[in-house]
Amino acid sequence: MSGLRKYVSFARTSLEITFVYRAGFVLNMIGTIFYVVAMFYLWQTVFLGNPGSLGGFTWPEMKAYILVSFLLSSLLTWYDEWVMSQDIREGYVAVDLARPFDFQASRFARAMGPIIFEATSAVGVAAVVALVFGGAALPADPGRAALFVVSCALATIIKFGLVYCVSMTAFWTTSIEGIMVGRSAIQNIFSGALIPLVFFPDWLQSVAAVLPFQAMISTPALVYLGKLDAQSTAVAIGVQVVWAVGLLFLGRLAFRQAVKVVTIHGG
Amino acid sequence: MPPLIEAHGLTKKFRQAVKEPGLAGALKHFFVRQYRDKLAVDHIDLAIEPGESVAYLGPNGAGKSTTIKMLTGILVPSSGSLIVNGLVPYEKRQRNARNIGVVFGQRTQLWWDIPVVESFNLARDMYEIPADRYKKNLGEFTEMLGLAEFMNVPAAKISLGQRMRADLCMALLHDPRILYLDEPTIGLDIAVKDSIRKFVRARVEEYGTTVMLTTHDLGDIEDICRRIVIIDNGKIIHDGDLATLKDTYARDRVIHFQLARPAESMAAICQKLPACEVASDGLRLSVRFDRFEHAAGEIAGAVMPLVEVIDFRIDEPEVEDLIRRVYLGQLSLAPGDEPELRSAKPAVVAEA
Repeated sequence: MSGLRKYVSFARTSLEITFVYRAGFVLNMIGTIFYVVAMFYLWQTVFLGNPGSLGGFTWPEMKAYILVSFLLSSLLTWYDEWVMSQDIREGYVAVDLARPFDFQASRFARAMGPIIFEATSAVGVAAVVALVFGGAALPADPGRAALFVVSCALATIIKFGLVYCVSMTAFWTTSIEGIMVGRSAIQNIFSGALIPLVFFPDWLQSVAAVLPFQAMISTPALVYLGKLDAQSTAVAIGVQVVWAVGLLFLGRLAFRQAVKVVTIHGG
Repeated sequence: MPPLIEAHGLTKKFRQAVKEPGLAGALKHFFVRQYRDKLAVDHIDLAIEPGESVAYLGPNGAGKSTTIKMLTGILVPSSGSLIVNGLVPYEKRQRNARNIGVVFGQRTQLWWDIPVVESFNLARDMYEIPADRYKKNLGEFTEMLGLAEFMNVPAAKISLGQRMRADLCMALLHDPRILYLDEPTIGLDIAVKDSIRKFVRARVEEYGTTVMLTTHDLGDIEDICRRIVIIDNGKIIHDGDLATLKDTYARDRVIHFQLARPAESMAAICQKLPACEVASDGLRLSVRFDRFEHAAGEIAGAVMPLVEVIDFRIDEPEVEDLIRRVYLGQLSLAPGDEPELRSAKPAVVAEA
């Protein structure tokens, strides 16, 4: 496909910019490492009081869960959301629209560009942390590892889809920061980033099940740990596909609508 | 052959939020939103032939940028028809984008954080420009616009003049048939303005590129455009060629003299220059004259024997002034009306 080349170019350029902001990247990474270490000590204390397993998790499994959560949170940072909404708010979308590419595809490429770098760094950090804390559970077999990679890819697409939809609100509102903070808070709870969803009361678990957030962290983590049987895995990944496609589609719809009604400044 | 750009009854309506002043107003707006429609572009008809260079003028908020945004496919018209190069821009936005180059004076299309040349390379991939043509164009533009010195500097670190030249280069790398320039020389110094105008003029003359330009700078228009379209309040109020417009609406010049001593007799000067408006303010003296009736030298020759002149300068009319006159209809295109209408103009008062 010859049309693909420009998007590869977008991705490459975007990766280059990540290197320009290397100090920011490193600081962000250090911040996240502190957070992971804190989580480790917290759960270690919890497991010391409850030897064996807790909510079906053993301590090595919980360590793996925290690291998977860390890995997925390191991909597609707030930066993409911020840049996209700023571009919309300041009218730079006009510049993009006067050029021959698909807006959503270009933003997707720009978000994906740095991912190889983000993923490599995060896996490296996770490995070191796991070693320091006496190892973590690994996927039982290569097949499960492969399923985990697929699930992570889908989780990342869902995250992009969500971030894209949220950024679209910048067309209608000037207080995008509030919406970003809100999304991040809800996502932290319902994705299972803070604690596995099994620890939630039943009603909250039911709420989480119908939201897209659980497909962003909980699903890949459970696939990694083999907590789902073959059928449940298929269903969970199917749900991820539905969310990924659905959110991308919703984003396109929102964008088209926005372009139709929006007032881009200037006369 | 049909026109390259053809619009009929093109209209864009915006919804504006109506807010009452103060905290109460803001609170009220939070709960009950009120809007009113604003016609930014109001049923305009426009036909532009291939190879034309058109200045699209009007006061701020007149509808210039809105029109350009509809022509480029960024905005969807509220009503009316629009065909650009055989395409409806907002329906075939990407295909239309391949045929056009756009420079927004207020917004760069360069990537902020990376060297300028990387933005060009991105444009190469974006427009799928063949390697040999890209190399040829980039080499040529670099030479003509003097880009070499900042080619490897991030866009964030270059000056406004450099940025604008780079933006212009980027807009033309794919040899577009149509070039839209939205205030391309805003805030630039004379030398940069000059190089940009020369460059655009060369594109028009050598490649037959069709140019549509919005600007507040009469110099841009004179150097680049043959035809002038004026829009105000969303309506086109003038569409014609530049020479006629200037000969009719911009034939006045004002010559300002700086005097060593106040003029002794204004009457003597007025008598020598019956068709001119003479005004004085202490050590300043200004004469407004019609450049078809008098040469500037004649005026100077008439004034200088009567007063001691230290310095003088000549003012050309400004675009805003031109537009205002067209708008107010102070002068008619029929030459016969002229003497009567001339007297209707406000007297010149030399600036303090």
